[in-house]
Amino acid sequence: MNHLPQAWGRPRDDVYGAYDHAYLQNGPKQHTQSPAVTGTSVLALKFKDGVVIAADNLASYGSLARFTDVKRLRKFADTTVVGFGGDVSDMQYLDRLLNSLDIEEAYGGSSHTLNAQNLHTYLSKVMYKRRSEFNPLWNQLLVAGLDGEGKPFLASADLLGTTFSSPSLATGFGAHLAQPLLRKVAFDEEAAAKLTVEEAVEAIKESMKVLFYRDARSLDKYSIAVVTKDGIDLKQDEKLEKQSWAFADQIRGYGTQIN
Amino acid sequence: MAMFSQNPLMNGPNYSFSQTPSTAAAGNKEHSFYPYTDNGGSTLAISGNDFTIIAGDTRSTSGYNINTRYSPKVFKIGGTTSSQDDATLVLSVVGFAADGAALKERLDAIVKMYRYQHGKPMSVKACAQRLSTILYGKRFFPYYVTAILGGLDEEGKGAVYSYDPVGSYEREQCRAAGAAASLIMPFLDNQVNYKNQYIPGSGEGHALQEREKIPLPRNEVEDLVKDAFDSAVERHIEVGDGLQMLIITKSGIEEKYLPLKKD
Amino acid sequence: MVFVQVSPRLRFPSKFPKLSFSVKQFEANHVTGADLYFVASGIQFGHANQTRASGAWRAQAPDGCQTIGFKPSHHSITSTVVPNTFSTSIGTGYDLTNSVFSPDGRNFQVEYAVKAVENGGTSIGIRCKDGVVLAVEKVISSKLLKAGANKRIATVDRHIGAVSSGLVPDGRHFVSRARDEASSWRSTYKTPITVKDLASRMGGYLQAYTLYSSVRPFGITGIVAGWDSELELPVDGQVGSGPKIGSGGKVEGKKYGGPGLFMIEPSGQYWGYYGAATGKGRQTAKAELEKLDLAAGKLSLQDGVKEAARIIYVAHADNKDKEFELEMTWISSLDGPTKGRHEEVPKDILEEAEKLAKKHLDDDDDEEETKEDDKMEE
Repeated sequence: MNHLPQAWGRPRDDVYGAYDHAYLQNGPKQHTQSPAVTGTSVLALKFKDGVVIAADNLASYGSLARFTDVKRLRKFADTTVVGFGGDVSDMQYLDRLLNSLDIEEAYGGSSHTLNAQNLHTYLSKVMYKRRSEFNPLWNQLLVAGLDGEGKPFLASADLLGTTFSSPSLATGFGAHLAQPLLRKVAFDEEAAAKLTVEEAVEAIKESMKVLFYRDARSLDKYSIAVVTKDGIDLKQDEKLEKQSWAFADQIRGYGTQIN
Repeated sequence: MAMFSQNPLMNGPNYSFSQTPSTAAAGNKEHSFYPYTDNGGSTLAISGNDFTIIAGDTRSTSGYNINTRYSPKVFKIGGTTSSQDDATLVLSVVGFAADGAALKERLDAIVKMYRYQHGKPMSVKACAQRLSTILYGKRFFPYYVTAILGGLDEEGKGAVYSYDPVGSYEREQCRAAGAAASLIMPFLDNQVNYKNQYIPGSGEGHALQEREKIPLPRNEVEDLVKDAFDSAVERHIEVGDGLQMLIITKSGIEEKYLPLKKD
Repeated sequence: MVFVQVSPRLRFPSKFPKLSFSVKQFEANHVTGADLYFVASGIQFGHANQTRASGAWRAQAPDGCQTIGFKPSHHSITSTVVPNTFSTSIGTGYDLTNSVFSPDGRNFQVEYAVKAVENGGTSIGIRCKDGVVLAVEKVISSKLLKAGANKRIATVDRHIGAVSSGLVPDGRHFVSRARDEASSWRSTYKTPITVKDLASRMGGYLQAYTLYSSVRPFGITGIVAGWDSELELPVDGQVGSGPKIGSGGKVEGKKYGGPGLFMIEPSGQYWGYYGAATGKGRQTAKAELEKLDLAAGKLSLQDGVKEAARIIYVAHADNKDKEFELEMTWISSLDGPTKGRHEEVPKDILEEAEKLAKKHLDDDDDEEETKEDDKMEE
C-alpha cells in the first residue's frame, strides 16, 4: 500500500515499465525526425524522345500497407512528371507548392512554362534549404521531362539536397534492385538515346515486377508515365502483368523446408 | 532497473506521474536527422610554372550504390556567361555533394559580382581569402567539403589553394582531396615534389642529396593526373567512371574528359 | 480672418451661378469680411479675367462655410461668392476627405472614384452557357508603345481572369490582391476559390477603402470572370481517388459549377451579371449586351467572343478620335477549348472576331447612309 494518494490507481512501473514523459516535455521546436506514411521506389529511364517513369500505388505505415491507391507520380504544367519516394505528407506539400508555382507562372501570360530542368533546380533548392533548417522534406524525388533544348531530362533530388542525373535512376529499394536492370538496357547516354519508347517501357515494367517480387513494401498496382515533347501520357491504374513466382520454391534458407 | 528509475532515494516502485525533481535537467533532445552524407570521389590539383590542372573523378556514390557515373566535381568560377567560357578560376569540391553545389554557386555569384563591380576578374589570391571567409562563416554548421581553388597568380604562375571544411587554407604546389586523397597524396609527394628521391651515390644518411626539383611540363603533369586516378580507381570503390580535367592557362581554361574504369 | 493660399492651377467649370463683389480690406495674406466665404475647388472665378494678377488664389474656409475662388488686384479682390443656399453639396467640404458622409448620406470620394472609372477604356464581360469572355478597349496613349504588349486582362487563378476600367495602377493592385486572395483560399481550403467567393473577398477589400481618411477608394471598376469546375475536383495535393461514390453531400439534379461573372465598383458594391460593362463606353455596351438576351443562357462561347469584339468596337465609336487595341481572354468549360482555364483568346479567333466587328460597323454606316439617301430622294 502506497501512502501517496496521487499514486493510487496508477500503473506501477514494476508492472508496466517506467512511464515515458517524453510527449509532455515541450522542448525545442520539433521537426520531422523520421517519415511516417511512406512510398517506396520510383524508377525512371530515358529513351530516344523522352523519359519513362513509374512508381507503385502503395503508401505504407511502417510495415502496414496503409493506403493502396496513392498516386506518387505528379504532373507539372503538362511538361514534367515528378515521382516521389518517402514521406507522403511531404509529397503532398511539395505537390501544392508546385501547383502554386504553376499558377504564378500563368500570371505572366506568356506561353513559356518551366521545363523539367527548371523544376528540378527549384525542387533541389527547396530540399537543400529545408535540410539546412534541420526540417527536411523526407523524400527522394525523380524529375522526368525535357530540358531547355528539348532533350530528355532525368534527375534526382533528396531530403539532403543531393542532386544527380543519369540515363536511368531508381530510388530506395529500386537503387539496389532495379538500377542494375535498367543500366543493362541503358548503360550510358548514348545507349539510352537509341532506346525506343516500347523498349524503355518494357524495361521499366520488368523492373517494377522484380521490385514487387522482392520489396516487401511494394504493390502490384502502379502508375507509369511517358513524357515526350508531345506531352505526358500518365496511366495511374496499371497492374503488373505476367508475374511468375516459379523462383519462389527454389529459395532456401527461410521458412520450414528441410533441404 | 526500471522500477527505481525515477527517484533512487525512494527505493520503491515508481508510478506514471513524475516524482523526480522538476529541476532535473531534461537533457538536449537528440535529433535523429543527420544533415550530411558522403558522396565519395576524389579531386586533385597540381600547379605548374604557367598552368594549373584541377581534376576530379565523376562518380557520385551513396554507400555502395553508384548514384551516377557523371557528376562533375570541378567547376569554372566567375565567368560572365552561362557557359563560363571567360572564367579564370576553378573550384573543386569533394565530400557532401549538396554542400559542394551550394558552395560553388555562392562563390560563383560573389566572384561574378566582383567582376561586374570592379570591371576585372578577381585574382586567385583574393578569391582564396574570400572562399575561406565563406567557409568559416558556417563554422558551426560547416559545408562538409574539401575545396581546392586553382588559377594563375599575378605573375602568371600556377596557383593552388587547398581548404579544410571550415576555411583553414594554404597555397600549395599540389593537393589531393576526397576519398582517395590518402592514396594519391603520397604519390604526388614522390612524383611532383620528389620526396624520398635522392641522387644515387650522393652519400649516406644526412649527406644524401635530394633530387633536384624542376617545374614539371604540362604533358607530364597530365600524365601524372591520369596515373594517379587510374591507380586510385583500382584501390578505392568510390572512385571511378570518368576523369574530368580543367587546365588553366593564360589563354583560358581547357576541359578534358577521359573514361575511367566503371567497375 | 482667413488664411489665403496660393494655388496657381485652379480651373473651374463655369456652370455654377456667380455673384461678384469686391473686398476693400486686403492685408498681405489675410482677408477680412463678414459675408465672405472661402474656397477650395469647384467654382470658377467671377471676373478673374478682369483683374490682372499673377495667379489664382485659394482660401481655406473655416468649418461649415462655403467656399469661393478669388483673385487679388492691387488693393481689392474681385471674386465669386457662392451663397450658402447653393444647390449642390459639392464644395461644402464633405468631398475633401474619404470616409466622411455628407448630410445627405453620400461619400463624395467614392463618387469621384466613379468619375475616374467613367474616363477609362471600356471593359466588358459576357457570361455564356459554356464559358465567359472578357474584353477591353485598350486606348493607345502613345505610338511608341509596343503593339500587343502591356496586357490589361490578368490571370488571377488558373480558372479566373480579371479586367478593370479606370486608373490602371489601381487595377494592377486589384489584380495583385485578387491573386493573394485566390492563393490564400487554396492554402486554407485546398481547393480553387469560386468566382463568387473571389468577388465577395474583393468587394470587402474595396469597401474597406471607403472607410478611412488615410486612404482613397479604388479608381476602378473591376470585372472578374471564371469557370467553377462542374466536376468533383480532387483536393489540391490529394493522393488517392477516395470512395467510388464521391464525397457525398450532393443534391440530386442540382447543377454544380459553371460560369461566373461579377463586377465590383469603387464602393465595394458587387453584383453577378449575365453581361457586365464599365468604362467610357459602358452605356453603349450595356445597351448592346441587353440585346443579346443572355439570361436565356443560349449564347455559346464562340459566339460570345464575336459579340464581345463587336460590342467593344461599337462602344468605341463614340470615342473615334483615339486609336485602340482589342484585348480578349476567355474561360471555357472543362470540355471546351481552354479546359476550364483562363487564357488569351487565340490569335486566329481574335482576328476573325475583329474582322466581323469591323464589318458590322461598316454595314451600320452604310445603312445610315442609305437612310439619308432615301430621305434626300423624298
